[in-house]
Amino acid sequence: MAAAVNRVTQNLILALLGGAVLRISAFSTTYLNYVKPGFRPFLIGAGVVLVLLGLAGLLQSLRPEKEAAGRGGDGHADGHDGGHGHAGGHSGGHGHAHGAGPRIAWLMCLPVFAIFLIAPPALGSFAAARDDTPPPRSQALSAFTPLAGDGPVDMKIGEFIGRAWDDEKKSLTGRPVRLTGFVVPSKKKGQWYVTRMQLACCAADAFPLKVAVKGVAAPPADTWVEVTGTWIPRTLDELPAGVVHPELAATDLVEIDAPAEPYEG
Amino acid sequence: MRAMSSLRADSDRPWAAEDGSIPPASWGRRDASPGRALPWGFVLVVVLLVAGRFVLAPYLTSAALQTWATVFVAICVQALPFLVFGVALSAAITAFVPASSWTRALPRHPAAAVPVAGMAGAVLPGCECASVPVASGLMARGVTPAAALAFLLASPAINPIVLVATAVAFPGQPLMVAARFGASLVVAVLAGWLWLRFGRSEWLRIPSRPHGEGSKLAAFAEAMRHDLLHAGGFLIVGGLAAATINVLVPREWLTAVAQIPWLAVLVMALLAVLLSICSEADAFVAASMSAFSPIAKLAFMVVGPMVDLKLIALQTGTFGRAFTVRFVPLTFGLAVSASALFGWLLL
Repeated sequence: MAAAVNRVTQNLILALLGGAVLRISAFSTTYLNYVKPGFRPFLIGAGVVLVLLGLAGLLQSLRPEKEAAGRGGDGHADGHDGGHGHAGGHSGGHGHAHGAGPRIAWLMCLPVFAIFLIAPPALGSFAAARDDTPPPRSQALSAFTPLAGDGPVDMKIGEFIGRAWDDEKKSLTGRPVRLTGFVVPSKKKGQWYVTRMQLACCAADAFPLKVAVKGVAAPPADTWVEVTGTWIPRTLDELPAGVVHPELAATDLVEIDAPAEPYEG
Repeated sequence: MRAMSSLRADSDRPWAAEDGSIPPASWGRRDASPGRALPWGFVLVVVLLVAGRFVLAPYLTSAALQTWATVFVAICVQALPFLVFGVALSAAITAFVPASSWTRALPRHPAAAVPVAGMAGAVLPGCECASVPVASGLMARGVTPAAALAFLLASPAINPIVLVATAVAFPGQPLMVAARFGASLVVAVLAGWLWLRFGRSEWLRIPSRPHGEGSKLAAFAEAMRHDLLHAGGFLIVGGLAAATINVLVPREWLTAVAQIPWLAVLVMALLAVLLSICSEADAFVAASMSAFSPIAKLAFMVVGPMVDLKLIALQTGTFGRAFTVRFVPLTFGLAVSASALFGWLLL
């Protein structure tokens, strides 16, 4: 039964949680599945503090004699005077109120379970498919510089969407571009979405940036791909109602490994 | 909660057995269970972790479950550094600032002390779990209850860490930070003044407190550990609820609610009460509710640090039920009105 949290356990829980945070931030790049890259130092700091606090507490509770003596005099009402409990060792030395922590502290094991057992991946096609809200239009109209060079241009999906809808100079016209994202199936025939999630802060506020791909067969959902193609221009007046994603006539498709940084910031 | 029942048992000297630190070391704790020498529960956790990694992990691959877990872990991971930092600062104040300096810093006249105490909340960080015991400690040291209450409301809502967290969660929207600061301070000061004018002393149980002892560093670590274990646990509850709402509730529902302005504000205010997210993290959750209007998000962030389920429990345990049944509705009403007003003015 998950009973009251004793002193040793409190410190073990803190150290365990701190260790889990360090594991995903200091010793791997898993944290990028959950938060933005700039957050790493804060996560490492928090993890270190938790581990230190837990270890310090554990060291302290290995010296029960001293602690019990220090606390014995401050008025515990139930007959545990200073030296009484010492013969019983650790279990008897403390006053009645000092052994146990809040039950709710057990819940701090849950993120550890989630991290180690479920190992939550970056948000994928499941999250992207259920959220069909259009992303906010962020770029100012003048912010798009002309595209230089003549090979395929590597472009973020967010930038592609911005140029497709909001660029008055239509800089995408006729230019081959290469987009990197994961595959989300579409309900419409003959197309699928190359998708990237965008974070404002953490994965809880992620929303999908989607470009409809036509001309190549869809790989399985959640496959990471580099897709090369050209924009299919559409004017705003011929668009149907509802959410519409910009379209890409694809010429080339390469399957790739999932990038370390799965989100567009 | 246990704090409640134990306070009933000896309500004239509720903190008498404590070591004098704020918050008291055993505050909110259950009585010791027998056999605490070995952390059996923790052993079980480790066994589950190790065994689960081989036995369960291959089955925990459903897309919905993974999405839920990602959102849950993301909320926890995002909030944790803020929580740790806030708890460390609040523990430092608890351990290193003598309680008597509060009384000297506040004006003599109660009506003047209320806004000063409210503004003190802007300087002194602490999450709401810490502010309840700090406020009760202030009252025990002779600070006017109304001023201590203004501090209780203001400190978790407008302290620097919370404001920085809000600015991070709402990039490029400094007015959101300003509105949160203004609305929360107004609510805290108004609630303090109303309590000063209409409150009766018999509604409020003011705990007495013996002088502390023990090394300051030990008190610091103990206060931090205590706050982390409480606030951390409640943060997980909030993360669980938010992740579940995020994955289970269809976006169309929230969008439908979000489109009726007054309903959106009320729903977000109620959500703040139910989710009980620590004030250092609530801005991130509010920002993630992308369907809602800025005013509704503001209401979420103004109500949350002042009224939520865990605070109601803490306040009942500390100040008594007669206090809570009056103070909580007063604060909720003020908070919703103030966020509507400030949101309308600023956002």
